[in-house]
Parts: sequence; C-alpha cells; structure tokens
Amino acid sequence: VAGARVGRVIDLEVGVDDADAARAEIERMCGELLANPLIESFEIRLEDS
Amino acid sequence: VNDRPVVAVVVFPGSNDDRDAGWALGSVGAEPAFVWHEETALPDGTDAVVLPGGFSYGDYLRTGAIASVAPIMGAVRHFASAGGPVLGICNGFQVLCEARLLPGVLRPNRQLEFVCSDATMRVEAVDNVFLRRCTVGQELVIPVKHGEGAWYADEGTFVQLAARGQIVLRYADDVNGSLGNVAGVVNDTGNVMGLMPHPEHAVDPLLGSADGGLLLAALVDAAARHGALAATPV
Repeated sequence: VAGARVGRVIDLEVGVDDADAARAEIERMCGELLANPLIESFEIRLEDS
Repeated sequence: VNDRPVVAVVVFPGSNDDRDAGWALGSVGAEPAFVWHEETALPDGTDAVVLPGGFSYGDYLRTGAIASVAPIMGAVRHFASAGGPVLGICNGFQVLCEARLLPGVLRPNRQLEFVCSDATMRVEAVDNVFLRRCTVGQELVIPVKHGEGAWYADEGTFVQLAARGQIVLRYADDVNGSLGNVAGVVNDTGNVMGLMPHPEHAVDPLLGSADGGLLLAALVDAAARHGALAATPV
C-alpha cells in the first residue's frame, strides 16, 4: 500500500450551465461551511448530468 | 421585574445541556432565557449568551458546523462583536470555533473513545471576563464528556494565543489529545470563551465540585456589567 486516505464525498446538483460559475459557487460553499480549512482540504470535480 | 442579568441560552435541535445550563446560571444569580435556533434576535435585555452542550443538528458534517450557520448565530455574532460576553460549553465551544468566533477546531479524541469523567485543569490566564474569580495556577475540577474534544490549531497560532493569554484552561493530564492539553480558549478581546468541560455540572459540592460555579458566576458578573453599560445613556 503506497498511501491511504479517508474522507467524505458530497454530491451537489447545481442548476447552471456555466462550469466556471458552478466551480466558483461550490468553492465558496466549501470555504464557508462544507470544509474546515484548518483540518480539511477539498477537491472539486465537475460532471455533466 | 427583577434585576438579575438575563443570560440567553441558545437551544439547537440536539442540544441536551441547555436545561442544566439554565438551572446552573439561575443558581449563580442569572435569569436564564432560552432562545430557539430559528430565532434571528436574542431575547430583549440579553446581557450574556451561553451556547450549551449537546449534539446540535446531530453533529452532521463536523461537530458544531451546521449550528454555526443557524439563523440565531447572526445575532450571537453581532452581540459578541459589540463586546457582549459569550460562553460556549462543549458543543457550544465546537460551534464557536466553526463560526470562527474562536480560534482552532475540535477534532475527535485521540483515543477515538468518548471520555466521561471529572477532569482537573489549571487556570492559565485571568485577564478575560470568565476567570476573574480565579487565580493563575489555580486548579479546577470540572467534568468532561465528549467524543470530539481535541482542540487543534497550527503551531504558530498556538504560540501566539498562549503569548496573548488566550489559552485560558489546560488539563493537568492528557484527556483527549488536545494540543498543549488545551481545555478552553478565549477570543482576542476576552469576551468570548469556549471550553470542553461542563461548568454547569459543577456548581454544587454535593455533586463532586462547585468549581464550575466560579466560571459561571464570573459570566454573570460580566453580564451585569454589560447590562449596566447598555443601559447607560450615551
């Protein structure tokens, strides 16, 4: 085993077509509530639905 | 009408020490006023605020995280920024950290087990509104009961907080893996405090210790001063 991590996945459905706008909005949500930057990092992956 | 300072006790879904906090505050001269998390204003004449222990919103996401953005928290934030005394106990401490009204964060106990026992802690600083009835070096015995009480901040922040007298209580022994055995901290203006131990469970010697009463009585002192200040015509 070269590495291991434990985390959580949060699936969000956002009703916008603009990927940059969606990313900016989700980044704001992560910064304000979804992640605590003191102890957590986050990564955003966008998928078309 | 009475002259007892009004201490608002915020009730979140999942709070479970709100009644005990109210009772204990009453025993040291306050008039507790319970306020539901959906309210957007504190009760009229609020002189101090207590965020009680429990498992607000089931502690989903992170302990205290959801509660930190509850409707009532805007009013709590406003009250704190105006210099009003705000005390967070256990889950209330976690809420204040998540709301960034206090530095650091509470992580799961290092032993990954719930801890429930009396704890001995040392008073580190008294130049804040909560420990004025104590002396530096004084040992207090107050119960702890938590699964996520390991306070953490980065090393630079910790050193800075200690130098400024913001690390106010430290456990005599390692209780939960808390950085520097920190049990309680205050904000940089000394009017917002959080601690994992439960002073509201230590106000009667018959139940083991009355040391928590020292802290709550100092909060009530501060509430009375804040009320008098608010009532003074400008």
